[in-house]
Amino acid sequence: MNRIAQGLTLVLLGAAALTSTVATDLYLNWVKPSFGPFLIAAGVVMAVLGVLVIAAELRGERKEAVTGGGAEGAEGAGQADPGAHHGHADGHGHDHSRAPGVAWLLLLPVLAVFVVAPPALGSYTVESTAGSSGPPPEQPRSGRFDDELAEAVAGEVVEMDIRQFVMRAWVDEEREMAGREIELTGFAVPASEGEGWYLARLQMSCCAADAIVNKVRVLGEPAPETDTWWTVRGTWVEPEGEISEVSEHEFEALEMEEVTDPPDPYE
Amino acid sequence: MPDRTTSDAAPDPAEPGFGPAPDPAPASTTSTASLGDTLVGGWDDRGGELPPEDWGRDGGRRRTGTVWLFALFITLMAVGHAWLSDQLTSQAFLAWATIFTAISFQALPFLVFGVALSAALTAFVPTSVYQRLIPSRPSRAVPVAGVSGALLPGCECASVPIAGSLMKGGVAPAAALTFLLAAPAINPIVMIATAVAFAGQPEMVLARFTASLLTAVVVGWVWVRFGRADWLRLPSHAHTPGDSRWKVFRESMLHDTMHAGGYLVVGGLAAATLNVMVPREWLLTVAGLPVVSVLVLAVLAILLSICSEADAFVAVSLTDFSPTAKLAFMVIGPMIDLKLIAMQAGVFGWRFVARFAPLCLLVGLLSTFLIGGLVL
Repeated sequence: MNRIAQGLTLVLLGAAALTSTVATDLYLNWVKPSFGPFLIAAGVVMAVLGVLVIAAELRGERKEAVTGGGAEGAEGAGQADPGAHHGHADGHGHDHSRAPGVAWLLLLPVLAVFVVAPPALGSYTVESTAGSSGPPPEQPRSGRFDDELAEAVAGEVVEMDIRQFVMRAWVDEEREMAGREIELTGFAVPASEGEGWYLARLQMSCCAADAIVNKVRVLGEPAPETDTWWTVRGTWVEPEGEISEVSEHEFEALEMEEVTDPPDPYE
Repeated sequence: MPDRTTSDAAPDPAEPGFGPAPDPAPASTTSTASLGDTLVGGWDDRGGELPPEDWGRDGGRRRTGTVWLFALFITLMAVGHAWLSDQLTSQAFLAWATIFTAISFQALPFLVFGVALSAALTAFVPTSVYQRLIPSRPSRAVPVAGVSGALLPGCECASVPIAGSLMKGGVAPAAALTFLLAAPAINPIVMIATAVAFAGQPEMVLARFTASLLTAVVVGWVWVRFGRADWLRLPSHAHTPGDSRWKVFRESMLHDTMHAGGYLVVGGLAAATLNVMVPREWLLTVAGLPVVSVLVLAVLAILLSICSEADAFVAVSLTDFSPTAKLAFMVIGPMIDLKLIAMQAGVFGWRFVARFAPLCLLVGLLSTFLIGGLVL
């Protein structure tokens, strides 16, 4: 990979990072919203570095042309130390002007952003991880929940994340959700067996690679089209017996409304 | 600028129309022509009349060819976007692409700033400073080198050449090797990245720090006791003395980004493929076995070759595995992996790697089990 190629790769990579953060909101499909500024900064640094490298290379070319003869003399100098041309054979002073072939792979994220523009994870991920629906990763400390159920007046509709709902349904021994009207937002996933369908949302702690599926089985409304977003108002179907042994949480829907384009696909 | 000069002087088989070279060079230099030049060479052949007369010098033509190549690439991307976006409906592929992009972009800022800081230290802090800070007696120098690894931000790709230059500068080899192991594993950037990835689990940051430092120091002491000088091929110092510091900075940053970034993408590809392709049941089965799961993630760390600034994010995504197994992934990864083995063999020789890599793996696993048992 010669230096112009390296510089152009960096510029393209920087452009990809900036396009997905500044020009569009694509980055929300992959990382947390708070990560945006870091991506912008990294994109700027890479683009600037790439431009500097290209500029230095072109300047170097002009200087060489001015000194006359140029190519011949430089060839001699380059030939003097053939060992330096390969990889890291010479330690710290290794040849800085070349990059290994693997550096071409840096164009793959560029391709991914500009050609594929990967969407947020959706029903496919929910269905393919069906088997491993474990308990929520973060246990509430000393029985406190980070939702608004406790503050809400009885009879008021409480808006909850699906994550918070699943947490309550799993560990709240007080069963405070019983009989309350709750509003959940997520995307529709068909259920392969049993009645109803799933309202699901992915929770990520860092990026889409660590996404965890949270889902509830919705009863009482016909299944909408897969991967469409809905806000569903309804009540928790209180299970019989120990709540910690329930593997699937059910939600009796009263009313539902389609959401056109939710801002952040993850919780 | 050897990139032009090498392949220009050698008769390049990719350019049959190039004519006899003025100075027939050893055939080996031909093989060092990078993919870029090969591709561009082919491109030049096809569009032989493209560069005007006054760009006759081959270096200029090659550059122009590279620019054309990228222009073609960008055009193809635009066409591809317009044409493919309707065709790309495979859910599995899109999920794979999402996870790959997510890993790449999550790691990118850490890579860029790690590389920038490491380049700044390379350019603005002379090695004599390290020599003054590290004691001359090897057994005492080893722990000092280990702890000073915590001060140098940079990923493993940066630390290999730095360790080489430390040895060249008179630091005991064992201490330089401890530094080589410690710097990418416990530096501030990596610690911050780990804390971000494992939000709410500070014990994981602590465990990673202690287990990595322990491994680095123990390996150093083992090397003091049993290491032999002739296993190591010391690098020759070939730093151009006349370069300005800013030029060293820019070049070092470019170099590290290209090396580390390329391997980071390899790691992202492998991790995304594992994430989508490997059935969850397999991972769940393996993840349930106490000792085997740790070994599996240690092997995975070696194969994936993820930059130490990004590996915590991959580790946290392996949600089914035990904390000790994730710790093994993060302790082994920065010390031994495929790309490091290749780099170390380049700098120190294969005789060295054949002894050093197994030693690191053994000590790394032992300290993972110890610290994992104590802390996690």
